Amino acid sequence: MNKQEQPVRRLYDLAYGRSGDKGDICNVSVIARSSEAYAELKAKLTPERVKAHLASLVKGTVERFELDNIEAFNFVLHEALDGGGTRSLRIDALGKSMAGALLYMEWEE
Amino acid sequence: MLRIGSAQGFYGDDVTKALPMIEGGHVDVVCFEALAELTLAILRNDMLKNPARGFTWDIPIIAEQILPAAFKRGIPLITNGGGLNPTGAAEVVRAKAAQLGLHGLKIATVTGDDLLPRLPDLIAEGERFTNMDTSAPLSLDGPPIVTASAYLGAFPIVEALRQGADIVITGRVADPCLYLAPMIHRFGWGADDWNRLAAGIVAGHLLECTGQVVGGNSLALVDEIEPDALAHLGYPIAEVKESGEFVLTKVPGSPGKVSLETAKEQLLYEIHDPSAYITPDVIANFTTLRLAADGPNRVRVTGVTGRPRTDSLKVNVGRFEGYSRELIFTLGWPQVRRKVQQLEGMIREAWAGLAIERCTFTYLSVNSLYGSLGALPDDPLELAVRVTATARDPQTLKQAVRRMMALGLSGPAGMSVSGLTVGADPRPILGLWPALISRDKVQPRIDICEVEV
Repeated sequence: MNKQEQPVRRLYDLAYGRSGDKGDICNVSVIARSSEAYAELKAKLTPERVKAHLASLVKGTVERFELDNIEAFNFVLHEALDGGGTRSLRIDALGKSMAGALLYMEWEE
Repeated sequence: MLRIGSAQGFYGDDVTKALPMIEGGHVDVVCFEALAELTLAILRNDMLKNPARGFTWDIPIIAEQILPAAFKRGIPLITNGGGLNPTGAAEVVRAKAAQLGLHGLKIATVTGDDLLPRLPDLIAEGERFTNMDTSAPLSLDGPPIVTASAYLGAFPIVEALRQGADIVITGRVADPCLYLAPMIHRFGWGADDWNRLAAGIVAGHLLECTGQVVGGNSLALVDEIEPDALAHLGYPIAEVKESGEFVLTKVPGSPGKVSLETAKEQLLYEIHDPSAYITPDVIANFTTLRLAADGPNRVRVTGVTGRPRTDSLKVNVGRFEGYSRELIFTLGWPQVRRKVQQLEGMIREAWAGLAIERCTFTYLSVNSLYGSLGALPDDPLELAVRVTATARDPQTLKQAVRRMMALGLSGPAGMSVSGLTVGADPRPILGLWPALISRDKVQPRIDICEVEV
């Protein structure tokens, strides 16, 4: 198989997750599919990288919280929902799909 | 052991999921969590039209369809669906229970969360209601305030249960605290038994979104769970021990799945710092707990730790900030890119001089969810353009739509507008203002009435 035919590897291959809202804050869980994946993500899935990937959606800062006990992360995205609630003009004002947006990140490592 | 069923996770959830729990003998108590951040504002709208309303429509369904079976078996029901008017909800339940012959049924209400009438006094007393996100102090000038509700904890419900309530109807009680209350009541946990209280909060947090912990909204189970199962998910149950250890499971034999994956997904749902999940009763730490498989559809949760509660309660203030409007236009090949440019330019030109505050153009299935992660193809076959606009008053938006529709035969070639959006009314915009209040400024009140037939 030559290089063009290889499927793109994405964050979704290493993790799954779920997202939701609190006002204009959106939180996204990233739950590793294996201990190896958790270690890799812990080293490389930085808040800066998440912010850069979601730059067109998230206007504020990104915080990362680690849960070694369940091999998962919680990313808290500030000013992420165009005002949140009924203030938001997004079709997904509650950020239900934000986890998918993050898991779409290309993962070349 | 105490078995707690969860039969509601939002206003409009299928509360009849309580029936198989109750009739199958699988639970000792059932909780119904009805209030999302915006729900109270929806209920305020109802109440402005009719002062006897202000509670959720789920309450009469619970009274008619669930309460008789639960009362017969001595299973208490707990709901925060009383919204802005638990007393009005209790009256509806009382009338229905009397009609159904539920003699001796005790109905409790928990109130004191609604601070709206007290706001001017509280501000005069020095409460600033500083916005937790922006640090701005609350001003009573500006957009009208329609809700100001404090998040109460579990203890008023515990007291209602202690007084023998068969159904407890509350206003804004924090979601997981609804579930914590029957544990405190049953096991006699102290108000400073932080680890056990925190364990109860985790159980409540896992239960409070019903279908989401049994296969709903689950990316982990996307390949596994079948459409018919999603339509008939059995709702979750926690089997809690006096120590605070619990097993998360669901109605035996029901469709859906409880697994380590569904537990993790829900554990991290709508939280901030997992080492400090702040509730009115305790600060729970999710980073010390352990999840373990305990047989099919059973996850055991141990090791939750907690810290003392804070001196303040959260208050969500809702402000009525204006109106928004949404329209969807469709365009087909050829020249879609050129025609989108014409459409957007034509609309902006038509709206010139109108007091439109914000306006967005997004392309459905291209960039409406994921922003710039999506890109318009060079030569699209078809495109749905979603246009939104906001204004302070509804007339501005109605005029905006009229001006736009007047260009119906002057627009880009082959354009149509979605019939669903043409006749709609402008939608109210509610801005949320999260703040804190000193705990001692909020006095929960418990009232109990007994049904006489």
